[in-house]
Amino acid sequence: MSDFEPIVKIRGLTKHFKKHTALAGVDLDIYPGRIIGLLGPNGCGKSTLIRHIIGLYLPSQGTCMTFGKNAADLGQKELCRIGYAHQEGQLLDWMNVEQLIRYVSAFYPKWNKDLELRYTQDFEIRMKDRVGSLSPGQRQKLAILLAIGHEPDLLILDEPASALDPIARAQFLELLLNIIQQEGKIILIASHILTDVEKIIDHVIMMNGGRIIKNQGLDNLLESYLHVRLTSIGKELPQELSFEKALFCQKDNYQALIVFETPDLDSFKAQAERLNCRVDIHALPLEDLYRVIMRSQH
Amino acid sequence: MKFQEPPFFNKKYYYNIPGFKDLMILDIDYHSGVPIYRQIIDQVREQIMGGLLKEGDQLMPVRELSAMLTINPMTVSKAYSAMEAEGLLERRRGIGLFIVGIEPLRKDKAKEAHVEALLNKAVITARQFGLSSKKMQKILDELFAKYQADDRSLSDE
Repeated sequence: MSDFEPIVKIRGLTKHFKKHTALAGVDLDIYPGRIIGLLGPNGCGKSTLIRHIIGLYLPSQGTCMTFGKNAADLGQKELCRIGYAHQEGQLLDWMNVEQLIRYVSAFYPKWNKDLELRYTQDFEIRMKDRVGSLSPGQRQKLAILLAIGHEPDLLILDEPASALDPIARAQFLELLLNIIQQEGKIILIASHILTDVEKIIDHVIMMNGGRIIKNQGLDNLLESYLHVRLTSIGKELPQELSFEKALFCQKDNYQALIVFETPDLDSFKAQAERLNCRVDIHALPLEDLYRVIMRSQH
Repeated sequence: MKFQEPPFFNKKYYYNIPGFKDLMILDIDYHSGVPIYRQIIDQVREQIMGGLLKEGDQLMPVRELSAMLTINPMTVSKAYSAMEAEGLLERRRGIGLFIVGIEPLRKDKAKEAHVEALLNKAVITARQFGLSSKKMQKILDELFAKYQADDRSLSDE
């Protein structure tokens, strides 16, 4: 699908803050046409990684190229193609909404006024409200508008929807899908709230301790883990029970719960048959999967 | 057929797409962990087996279906491509995707395999609970009587 050049190209990216290592040798290519979920526990380096991509931080070692330019050399041309809404959402509180939108839009060579109008209507943003008086949810909506108004090719959202109500959240997801329909766009969403993003992302990057531990398609990731319950129909399960490729196994005398990574289902089913067991196989929802992968890191 | 730029957030639009008399009714569980493209394939296959989708029916275009379900268009494309590769769908350039080659799925064998997979769990639960095969048979017969289908004839008659 993506034969063209990656929009973001990262090689051996390492970042130290004094003695703390925030990123430890990250390699990453990001291709257009994707909605990527950037997942990981607090302090795992998500935001640090993002700040390198948009040129707010410079690497201690390695390189981070965005639109073919090093983080240090990002100029107006590249920055205009990036949209960024972040969790703290610092806005100019003393302006009213309309003033702030005009102020921000003035920085960009193009600004989609039509999109702005539809957006403010659909999200019920009132132009005359003072920015400082907005609720956290309204602020977040405004921050998103300011990140998309100039129609960036690379849209980066750091915890974008945490304060949105369920309806606004659904609208927000629709908005992102609308953006990704256009050629050559990338949306990168960093989030803890997995249920928000799992509907629409097609690619997952998981980070832990400054490293990337998973970088693959969502479907592929979901399909490579299975959760199995084994229930003995007849006699007790043998004391020593081991399964190939099992990540976790929890058992009592008659039942066992097992999580597999890329299991050989046929051989497992044969094993279960020999043990005279009932097998219930479930997929693991992304949220559970996330916990399993994080736990298996230790 | 030319689609207008879909307006934001206006789901009503998608329910009135000119040229599509029917929507695809799919019941997607977004948080089950079963990949969404899998769920689409399974449900389309099931609808074909049940006679709800017929040879020559047109599927909703990728854009419209992804907008309706609020899912990534790549996910819909993936499901459609897999079904195309399987020979279940045919792409007519510039028009859309149509259901073809459903014969294998309409055969009793395919239906039986599908039902057997569903029954497997019930039987093994019965075994675990110590219910006899005779009791199971009785339950099945009663259920059959309860859901006596009068509109679609049984295929083995």
